[in-house]
Amino acid sequence: MIEFPVIVTAVVSSFLLGLLAMGFTLQYITLSVPNLAYGTIAFFTTYVTLTVTLLGLPPYVALPFAFLLAGSISFLLYKFMAFLRNRGMPLTALMISTLVFDFVIGAIMNIYADYISYTMKVFARMFSLTENDFSVSLPGGLHMPGILPVSMLASILIVLIFHTALVKTKFGIAMRAVMENYSMAGVQGINTERVLGFSWFFVGGIAGIAGSLYPMWFFMDPTVGTVMFVSIFASCVVGGLKSMYGSLVGGIVIGFSETFVTYGLVGVFGTWLWIYKSITPMLIAAISLMVMPQGFGGLVSRLKER
Amino acid sequence: MIGIAVIVSGVLMFCCVYAIVTLSVNLQYGYTGISNLGLYLPIIIGVLTVGVLPGRLALAVYGLSNLDFVNDNAKAVALLEARLQKDPLTSVMLLVVTLIVVGGVSAFAGYLSGYPALRLPGDYLALFMLCLGESLRLFGMETMSLAGGIYGISIVNLFVFLGPYADLGVISFIMVSAAIAYIVCDRMCKSPLGRLLRSVRDNELTAQCVGKNVSLIKKKLLAITFAMLGVAGSLFALFTNAVVVEGYTRSDFSFWPWLMMVIGGTGNDSGGLLGTGALVIMRRVMIVSKNYFGFLPFDVLWLEPILLGAMLALVLIFRPAGILPEKAPHVKRPYPKTTEEHRT
Amino acid sequence: MTLLEVSSLNAGYGKSPILFDLSLEVSKESISAILGPNGSGKSTLLKSIFGLTTIYNGSINFNGNDITGMKPYEIARLGMAYLPQVENTYLNLNVRENLLMAGYILSKEETNARMQEVLDFLPVLKGFLEKKVLTLSGGERQMAIMAMALMRRPALMLFDEPSASLASKVADKIFEKIKELNRDFGMTIVIVEQDTRRALEISDESYLLVSGKVNFHGKSKELAENAELGRLFLGLRSHIQDKRVSV
Repeated sequence: MIEFPVIVTAVVSSFLLGLLAMGFTLQYITLSVPNLAYGTIAFFTTYVTLTVTLLGLPPYVALPFAFLLAGSISFLLYKFMAFLRNRGMPLTALMISTLVFDFVIGAIMNIYADYISYTMKVFARMFSLTENDFSVSLPGGLHMPGILPVSMLASILIVLIFHTALVKTKFGIAMRAVMENYSMAGVQGINTERVLGFSWFFVGGIAGIAGSLYPMWFFMDPTVGTVMFVSIFASCVVGGLKSMYGSLVGGIVIGFSETFVTYGLVGVFGTWLWIYKSITPMLIAAISLMVMPQGFGGLVSRLKER
Repeated sequence: MIGIAVIVSGVLMFCCVYAIVTLSVNLQYGYTGISNLGLYLPIIIGVLTVGVLPGRLALAVYGLSNLDFVNDNAKAVALLEARLQKDPLTSVMLLVVTLIVVGGVSAFAGYLSGYPALRLPGDYLALFMLCLGESLRLFGMETMSLAGGIYGISIVNLFVFLGPYADLGVISFIMVSAAIAYIVCDRMCKSPLGRLLRSVRDNELTAQCVGKNVSLIKKKLLAITFAMLGVAGSLFALFTNAVVVEGYTRSDFSFWPWLMMVIGGTGNDSGGLLGTGALVIMRRVMIVSKNYFGFLPFDVLWLEPILLGAMLALVLIFRPAGILPEKAPHVKRPYPKTTEEHRT
Repeated sequence: MTLLEVSSLNAGYGKSPILFDLSLEVSKESISAILGPNGSGKSTLLKSIFGLTTIYNGSINFNGNDITGMKPYEIARLGMAYLPQVENTYLNLNVRENLLMAGYILSKEETNARMQEVLDFLPVLKGFLEKKVLTLSGGERQMAIMAMALMRRPALMLFDEPSASLASKVADKIFEKIKELNRDFGMTIVIVEQDTRRALEISDESYLLVSGKVNFHGKSKELAENAELGRLFLGLRSHIQDKRVSV
């Protein structure tokens, strides 16, 4: 019998991971290099949620602030990258340059955590906000934590809005055009810088929302961004390296797998399995590479061509 | 007096270890175009081997197998060091065996990593290795039985037989290792093998057409560089006399070497060393001056990544080729000047 | 009246020069053909006119404007359309979306009006407006490319090998449309072509490029009918070794 908290863990982590993976893939497609600072930028917004609760407000108030903050930082990162790219910097060096933001934002996050711990006398280097969440009573005596519907709803809404914009609006179609062929779009007079700048802002903001929801169920510490980066990357591999919606699916796969390896199988096979939690994402990614190198996204396009 | 010696040996150790790492990165990226952000994967292999092997071997050699190296760590280390102090032969043997195993296991891991290396495009490969490294680090952190998990363990100082010169022994050994690594790499790059490596980097297709087994070459190169990195990691652990896997972060052991290369100048060894030296000294200074900044409500060490990020940004903006760029041979231009040059 | 004038152009890619002292003139409402063997610089010429290469020396004048060294999107705004051989559509977008992007800088009403015009000119497109370009056949894709260029009502169209990898009948249709554009709408067109027969048939003037230089230039009709010129044309002299190189 799978316990209810395990289900919550599986669902919440899958949806959040799906959002994060989708965002990462989009940034990769538009910039041609992976954003190494992605994990840090996404998860430092957890401290926004913490701050909000320390101020006595309901935690979900943090969402718009998290969106704006993470979005702005992503926008700045994009501007920095674009500046370097226009100077002719090679791709590997561009990838290294994302580290500037990883270092600085990570340091600021740690400094803030220290500062909060010192001034507010709370242990901000390891915290969870499950107690600040609202709860819904379900039949059967179960109490559903608010994060469950919130994370599902937020993810579904975000994906719907995103998809609609990409398909139905001129700007969204321009985003797809720029993603596919940057130079051709420029020649046609599309303001590629503005299009990309906005998409990075939006995607960064989404990542920020996903991150800010994390401590509502899980334990947060400053290293979570780095650890989750592995799962995010594994989700992208499973989803197909250049497919946004594939990554979304990949995130759900990895989220469920991680949860069931750690909680489900451990209950069945014994606690010795617990230590393999950390290698589960990469194991799945490696298997996925061998079995279906194009990922889910590739599978779907091949099916469509038939 | 002792304080300065500690600082100096710390700086020297860092410089040497990072120098070996930078040499490996140069080989991997500068000469064959493989960008590997998971440098800490083989480094952690080296560190874990040092945590797992010599202690248990020594316990077996001295018939103390009733002790568990992890759970009875303090006792085991004390007992073993007492024995090894009078037993230089065993000490050296343990050292040699450990390093051979480190080299072998790391090389094997490098060879295996050739499989994804050949299937993934450049930057995705970099990420793949990064995530493999992080997974191994997490695995090491969560597995008590290997090397103390999250708490870490002390390891036996294999140089105790040198008595009061033990510290000097360690640092000398490390410096000699770095020197050997440098000489080997230098020789290799100036040899026909070096030309082969550069040809693979410049034009893989041509190299294949000429009959060179490119995938085998890459796998061999990964094996060699992984072995070097593994040894570098084990040297680090030997110096600190402890294995705490948690401390081997992607930041310190994967990103820093890359930063050193970028800041110092890619594609040439002197640049890498310059970068290494600058960053290591900066870090040591920060650690030492920490005491003067106790009034700040946060740990002053967090300023280091900010400084590092700023330095990197400055270099990227103003000197993108690094402070010491690769010196290209001077080419006389037979081509007509462009319109812009005509105007100026 | 001269719409496009290239004077003593030296151009190439970065430090590799491809075109040497090249001059040509294109009259308004004419079709000009650029012919020549592989590697002679035909595509480079079109790219240079559109601002996609490095110009070392010389000048390009379009409709009274000196466009030497201008950026491609600035040249596009002046009324020139460039239809390259590759990377000319958004493969993952459907035809309608491609047209929308081609007319990106137009207002909503203008876009709808132009799209209607373009579809009237190329009615066959109506059959696959919602299909992704990736799934179109060669001929359908060429139609889409033409349609995209027409969204901006250019004064000059530079067409790089319109018949490349197309079946004969399909290429005929494309060329018919090109003729129609010129005849009924007064569009000035420059075509680079490997298919010399078709190119000579459709064009008013022809330029022969060999190794980056204009080897011959004249009325296409004369070139097609003149046996001597034909032999000269078919037995091209390479300026490097003065050997006869057959096309």
